[in-house]
Order: sequence, then structure tokens, then C-alpha cells
Amino acid sequence: VHRVDTTQLLKGVLDLAVLAALREEDGYGYDILRRLRGAGLEDVGDASVYGTLRRLFNAGFLNTYVVPSDEGPHRKYYGLNPAGRTELQRSGKVWHGFASIMDDLLRERETA
Amino acid sequence: VNSTTQDEITSYVEAVRAALAGLPEATRDELLEDLPEHLAEVQAEGTGTLSERLGTPEAYAAELRATAGYVGGFPDPPPAGAWVSPREAWANVQRVLGRADVRVGPVIGYERASDFLVLLRPAWWLLRGYLVAMAIVVFFDGGADRGLLPRLGGSTLLSLMLLAGCLIVSILIGKRAGSWAVWPRYALRAGTVVLVLFAFSGFVTADREVRDDSYVGVNTSFDSNPYSNVQDVYVYDSHGNLVPGARLFDQDGSPIQLGQGYPATCVDPDTGESTPSHSMGYPYCPQNAPFIAPSAGTPQPAVSASPGSTVPALPDPSGSVGAAAPSGSATTVRPSVSPSVSRSGDSGNGK
Repeated sequence: VHRVDTTQLLKGVLDLAVLAALREEDGYGYDILRRLRGAGLEDVGDASVYGTLRRLFNAGFLNTYVVPSDEGPHRKYYGLNPAGRTELQRSGKVWHGFASIMDDLLRERETA
Repeated sequence: VNSTTQDEITSYVEAVRAALAGLPEATRDELLEDLPEHLAEVQAEGTGTLSERLGTPEAYAAELRATAGYVGGFPDPPPAGAWVSPREAWANVQRVLGRADVRVGPVIGYERASDFLVLLRPAWWLLRGYLVAMAIVVFFDGGADRGLLPRLGGSTLLSLMLLAGCLIVSILIGKRAGSWAVWPRYALRAGTVVLVLFAFSGFVTADREVRDDSYVGVNTSFDSNPYSNVQDVYVYDSHGNLVPGARLFDQDGSPIQLGQGYPATCVDPDTGESTPSHSMGYPYCPQNAPFIAPSAGTPQPAVSASPGSTVPALPDPSGSVGAAAPSGSATTVRPSVSPSVSRSGDSGNGK
């Protein structure tokens, strides 16, 4: 039996979460981690975000550029390219469909 | 970044690498490619060692492995063949463009070159409106009346109205296209490609026409010498007699070279027959003289010359100047003719 916990669920939707975190604004790795945690996904690990960014980048969904910084290290920013936006829309629809099914299921259980 | 934090990052990355030892090397390298930079960012954000904040390198490696999508063993690394999927190729192009964007930006005083290009957007809208107007005219009018204004039927007022309309529509499209659906946006892009090709061909055509024009201009300026069509020179004295073997000099005593030069060839105007000239001075071809001076002293134009033509120097024997010259000597004297030959009094009294 798989017990439902956030870490487990997160694996399936981490891509979507990272894409969504980049929808409004480009960001660098740690910045994105902070956005996800700030949104409530407190279990997200740094390695997860880093690995997901690498993978999304290699899949062609992100563009990236380095922003030099006077104090501290240069920062590698990631942003959605058109393919990434399309993927965000597509995955978002899948998620909404899935979530509403789960909502319906749960509501029936509760009311039954 | 000082050396101790750098060392910490290096040892952390090496520990993660060691924990991923089971993976194909290429995959592992790709996975770890950016990790040092990423860890440097993490380090700059807070306090504490990396292990305190991120957990052990082994745990980090396990999480990385899990989220990188290769649970249950990594797939074979992509074949290092020639074929690259379009999406991958596009990603590569974007990576290169992204780097160029950041590199070029500081050269022109912006963080990114695209920051500057974004500022040019309204300028592009105007240019696009103009190009559309020109394209409309070329399409409907065949571009017969080519100019810099989109002239429809040759009317300037109409062309200005057309231009204004296209500019307004283009600006409105520019402001609103961001909220369009996918397909209209693709259509807009396709239209842009067509328009750019149209503009390029128009530019090339205009450039060539301007260059051709200037070439013609150079040609005409070569004709500025009014004597370029002179082939022979005929000198007449005050009695209208042709002076044979005349030489021309300027004020410095330099000979004036007009016509074909010695040795010359004479072409009979009637037969077209050409014979070599034996004359050292002007005229080279006395037989082709335009005026024939009869022995009576009354010059008769061989061809009817209008008053304003080349014979103002032709003297009137009944005139006061001509009367001063001894008529008997005029035929025998060979005056040395200077450019001021028209002063018949000088030549008549010469020698």
C-alpha cells in the first residue's frame, strides 16, 4: 500500500510545479525553490528543484542565461520558452482534469 | 566566493558524483554540469554548511536521481549520432541565443541585448505598417509608380491615407497581439516572414536602382567638354578665305590640340571614301570646309548656317574692319593663328 504523502505526490507534478513557478517571472535555482516552498510545497528538496530544472532544460522547455552579480556568485536564471509555455498549458489541463476527478471521488465518498 | 567555500562546494559535488557512480558517465556529467554553480547560489543565500542545509551528499544524490526522471535505472545516454531531435536542436539554438543575448548586452549598454530589442518594438510596428502599405500597392497596382510612398493610382493624398491607416492598424495589432490565441499569432508570424522577404527584395531593388542612377550621372558628366565632337578646325581670314595649314596656340604658347590629331584621315561626306591627310596644320581636310570662299571675296556658306552658329568670326568684306585689310595680301599671307583668331584686324596685318 502506498500511503499518500506530499513527497510521493510531488514526484508526479514537480515538473508542472516548477513550470508554474516560472510562469510570471524567470528565476534561478534557489529562487525557484523559495517560490515553491513559499507557495506551500515545504517538502521540496533542493536536489529535486535542481534536477527538475536540468531535465526541463534538456527537454527544451526552458531557456537560461547567467546574470553576473557584484556580491556573491553569478546566477543562472531559467525562464519558460514558448515550448515551455505550451507544456505548462497542456500539463495544467491534465492536472485540472485529474484533480477534479479526485475531488468528485472524494466528495462522493464523504457524502455517501 | 572565497577558497574555503569553494573547497566545500567541490568536495560536496565530488561526494554526490561518487554516490551516482552507477550511472553512465555522460549522464552523470550532464546531471552534475551545473551543480557547482547551483551550490554557490545556495551558499550565498544563507548560513551553515552545505551538508547542514541540503543533507548529506548521498541523500542529495538519491533525490537527484529520483527527480531527474530516471527512477529504476538510467536509460542509455542518447546516441552521440548526427541526428538531433528538432526540439533538442531548438533548445540548443535558444541556449546559444541566450548566451549571445547576455554577452552582447553590455557592449551596447544593456544587461541583455533583448532588453534593447524590446525597446524597438513600437519602431517595428511603424515599419511593419509602412511595409504593409507598400505591399498593398505593389500587389494591387503592380508597383508601376515606384517611389518611397505607397502611391495608389498616383495620388499622394490617397497614399498618405493608406499609409496612416496601415500604421494605425499595425500599432493596434502590436499592442494586442500578446493576448491573441495561438493560431492568430502563428498567422501573424507567417505574415511577418512574408513581409520581411518582401522588404528585403524591395530594399535590393531600390538599392540597385539608386546605384544605376548615379552611374548614368557619371556618364553624362563626361560630356562636359563642348569640343569633344570637334574633328577638324577651319580658320578663315577677314575676307572669308580659308587659311590652310593653320596652327593653334594658347597664351602660353602651347599648341591646342583639337580634332583627330596628326596624321588625320579625311572622309569624303558624299562617297564615304577615306584618304589620309597631308596637312600638318588645320584644317586637316580642306576639301570638307563648311564655307567656300570664292575669289571675288564674298564668302558663301556651303551649308546654310543659322545666325547663331559657328561662324560669327566669318567676316563681312564690306565691313569697316575688313576694309582696313589689304585684300591682295590676304590670300598669300599665312598668318600664325592664335586663339584670338577672330580679331580679323590682327591676322590681316600680321607679318
